[in-house]
Parts: sequence; structure tokens; C-alpha cells
Amino acid sequence: MSVMPAELQAINISKQFGGLSALDQVSLTLRPGEVHGLIGPNGSGKTTLLNLLSGYYQPTSGSIKLGDEDLSLASVQRRAAVGVARTFQKPRLLPMLSVLENATLGAWSHSESGFVASAVSLPSVAREDKKFLDQTTELLHGVGLGHVIHRRANLLDHAEQRFLEIARGLAMRPSFILLDEPAGGLTTQEIEHLSQVIHTLRSSGIGVLLVEHHTDFVFRISDRVTTLNVGKMIKHGASDEVRTDPEVIRVYLGA
Amino acid sequence: MNSQTTKVLSLLVGAILIATLPFWAGDQYQLHLAALIAVYWILIAGLNLVVGFTGQLSIGHVGLLSIGSYTFAILAGKMGVDPTLSVFVSGLLGGLCGLALGLPSLRLPGFYFAMATMAFSMIVNEIVLAQVDLTGGGIGLPGPMFPKPFDSPIGFYYLVTAIALFVTWLTWNIARRMWGRAFISIRDNPVAAQAVGVPVFKAKLLAFVFSGITAGVSGAVFASLQSYITPDTFVFELSMFFFVCIIIGGRGSIIGPFLGTVVLTALPELVSPLAKLGNFFYGLLLLVVVLVVPEGIGRMFEIISERLRPRIVHREPITPDLNRLAKALKGHE
Repeated sequence: MSVMPAELQAINISKQFGGLSALDQVSLTLRPGEVHGLIGPNGSGKTTLLNLLSGYYQPTSGSIKLGDEDLSLASVQRRAAVGVARTFQKPRLLPMLSVLENATLGAWSHSESGFVASAVSLPSVAREDKKFLDQTTELLHGVGLGHVIHRRANLLDHAEQRFLEIARGLAMRPSFILLDEPAGGLTTQEIEHLSQVIHTLRSSGIGVLLVEHHTDFVFRISDRVTTLNVGKMIKHGASDEVRTDPEVIRVYLGA
Repeated sequence: MNSQTTKVLSLLVGAILIATLPFWAGDQYQLHLAALIAVYWILIAGLNLVVGFTGQLSIGHVGLLSIGSYTFAILAGKMGVDPTLSVFVSGLLGGLCGLALGLPSLRLPGFYFAMATMAFSMIVNEIVLAQVDLTGGGIGLPGPMFPKPFDSPIGFYYLVTAIALFVTWLTWNIARRMWGRAFISIRDNPVAAQAVGVPVFKAKLLAFVFSGITAGVSGAVFASLQSYITPDTFVFELSMFFFVCIIIGGRGSIIGPFLGTVVLTALPELVSPLAKLGNFFYGLLLLVVVLVVPEGIGRMFEIISERLRPRIVHREPITPDLNRLAKALKGHE
């Protein structure tokens, strides 16, 4: 048995929609405790890859593995249960529930309370729910949402929604979290706070996939970066190495 | 007075009103109405998990009510089975029929699901009409009484109120914890529900089977309250009535749909000019609620007070507490 924590891998993965090839033979390895940036122009397949990793799409060919477990065809729910969390480009929250309730939903996979046990409110159910609420309260204070913990989610501003999505993902206690353009629409200061949060996730051993448009931000905080262009991988490697690659500069940065 | 105290006080007042109702209700008819509200509420409380929380638009619950009623009338009436046992069988059969209906239909998108449930209630009615030997066909069946002490109007009122309170307690327990959050996530954002691992179909099915059980139980006591049931008792309008009670009351709330049930059942009966309006009254009320307070009458006071005295939302910057975050993440291990 290996003591190394498992890696989340996409191996030679392709995805076609009808006749359109969205991704062509792309590979990517996400390691625990590492920030992995994924950049590329619009339509280069970044979000497609994220959807393949989180299970919203199934690959046309190639495979997705977590350690030795093949997840290629596993449901979204299965991936949540084995510790792959994600956020969305456009925050997907429950508008009528409080920030605390929204984040606590993330603990769903860890709940052992059955429907019948919950209906009759067994003491174990009440204890478990209290534990979840306490844990998410800590997480919310941690990401900086302590001041809005009881506010309804539809009253949050954009940045608060983005941070709440991350908190909900963290309530899943994931090994990996896939962030889909988390810096979109944030101010410089908020982006700074976001990168501090991401650093903390990294040092806690969580693997972070960062899909972003803000290339400065990505190169600054990523350990490794993968660059896509029209569904093909053009370069992957250490952050500095990718930043100075002539091909990357040509298709993306140079413009 | 903070909101917690207000809540406890209103619950206390409500409990006293419900417990003492037979002593202040004007006449037998008002007591009958109160019992009818409780009977309807047994069904609506369960349906509320499906419609109000999970957001699945079932308009066929009159079919499940009918199944519960006929089961009770056949078992307790024709076959002489113990009425209490018959209620349990009605609930069980309601749950099984809910399962049989939910399994194929809950994967359908909203509009088609609604059509499937409507078709189900029509089919049930046709079967009841056709099975003359069992159900009495168009002539119907007597709904047997419960044994002492529940054979009097007051006794029956307390019986159905106790069942209604029990069902309310069950749904409240579900609604306020993880299952409630999961149901609401299915209603408001199925993609997010999946992302956190909620088994969407299974959760919908559980809510639906639960509502089938409560519909079956409600049907059993409904048959007894009506004292005689025919296929005409279970008209499609009744299904819409259940649905409208929840929408008028407000989705994602328990007290709202309860108020909806009380208002829609009692008002047309107690205020005679409204009775003349009949379905017009329901239609008008529905229109007003959907246009003016789409959140439902359960939240009406909250919304009006918010409008009169708009709360200033203080914007504070997001300042992460990284030590606390690291600790929270470690605490998870």
C-alpha cells in the first residue's frame, strides 16, 4: 500500500459534442496540496475539462482516475462522495436559505441520518446536524463570511456568493476542489483574499484546480499550470516555465 | 420581544386554540370544519415536502387520497377489520401506490411529471367506478366510524388533530435538517444538489412515498368524516385545492401552507357571500397571492414589515481568518 495520497488524473481525455471536438487528448494530474492552474482563451475547453473531472460530462475517450479508482463514468454524486468538490462560474446557491444552511448542505455526503431517523428526530440526527452546523460556522468565519452567517443567500453581493460557494465546497471535506473562475468579478482586494484562502487550502493538503481568466493571478499562486487552446494542450509544467513558453505567449498572453 | 420569543408564544397560543376548539366552536358544523381542516392537513403536510420543499408539481394526490379512503371503507366497513389497523393499511397502500407512481414519473421534467400525476388520479377514479363489487361503483360505500371514544364529533376531532400534529412534527423534523436542505436544493438548484452529492431521484422518491403514506392515512379518516364516499367525492378540483393551499401558503414553509389550508377550507364556509363565489374565490385569491405576495401568505407579515421598514444591509468587506480556516480544515480530518 502506498502512503502517498491519491492523485486525481485525467488521462488522454477527449470530449466531442456531436461532431465538434471540445477536448482532444488532454491529460492533467492534480496532486494533493498543490495549486494547479488551467488557463486558455474562451472556448479552449477549460470548463469542459472541469465538467469531465466533476462528472457532469462523460468522456468520449480517455479516463479519469482518483488513485486506482476509475471515475470515468462515475456520477457527480459519486465524485462528491470520494472527495471531489467544485464551484461554478455563476454561483449556484439556494436563494431562500441562509449562508450557514447553504454551506452546511455541503456536508451532505458525510451525513448518516436516514430519512426515517430524521423524521422522528433521533438524538443521533440532532447531534450530527449540530456538529455539521458548528463545523461550517468555523469554515465560514475562516473564509471571511462570519458577518453574514445568518443572511439569506439572495441578499449577498457577488463576492460573498463566490466565497460561499467555496465554503460549501469545503464543507464537503474534499481532497480536491475545482474552482471555476473564482476571481471573476472580484475586486483586487478580494482577489488577494481569495489567493490567501487558496494558499491555506493548499497547505492543508487539498489539491486545487484553478480555472481562470486572470492569468497574473494564476501564475502567481499556481504551482503548476496547464494551458489549453482550442481543445488541445499546448503546454503544462511549472508556473514559471509555462509563463515564458513562446507558444503560450503567442496564443494567449502575447495578444 | 425577539423573533424566538414571538415564535414560541404564537406556537403556544396556537396549541391552546387547537386544544380548546371544541369548547369555543360555535356549533357542530364548525367542529366538522375544524376536523376537515385537520384531515386535509394530514395530506397537505406530506404533499408540502413534495411541492413546497422538493419543488415537484404533483397535482394527482386526490388519487392517493381516494385509495386511502376506499381501502379504509372496504377493510373497516365491508370486511369488519379493526379501524385502527385499517388506517395503517391505508397509509401503507398509499405509500406503495406513491412508490409505483413515483418510480416511473419522478425522472420526468416538471410539466410532464404534473401530467403523469394527473393521469394517475384519473385512472384511479375510473378503476373505482369499474370495480363495482369492491367499491360500489358509482353508488359508493359508507365510511365507517371509529370506535369509542372517537365516535363522537369531539372525539374524532381530537383523533385527527393528533394525527395531523404528529405528521406536522415529522415534516418539521425533515424540513429543518439535512434532508430539508437537500429537498430545497433539488427545488432551487438541481445542479448544486448533485455537486454536493444529493441523490436527486432517491430524495424525490422518498418525499413522494412519504406524501403517499400521509395521503393514504388522510384518506382513511376522510372516509370516516364524510361518512359516505363515491367517486364524485374525489374530483380533480380537490387535487388542485391541495396544490393551491401550498402555493398560497408559500413554498419552503410549514406554517404557510397550514394557514393556506385553514383559509381556503374555512373562509368560503364561514363567510357566506364567499361561498356563493365558489371556485371564483379560490381563483381570485390565487391570483392576488401570486401577483402580490409570491412568497405566500406565511411570509406576508414578514414581507410587509420589511417593506415598511426596509432593513439596511451593512456591507462589510470579506476578511478571511486564515488560522481559523486552517483549523477548521484540520478539524475535519
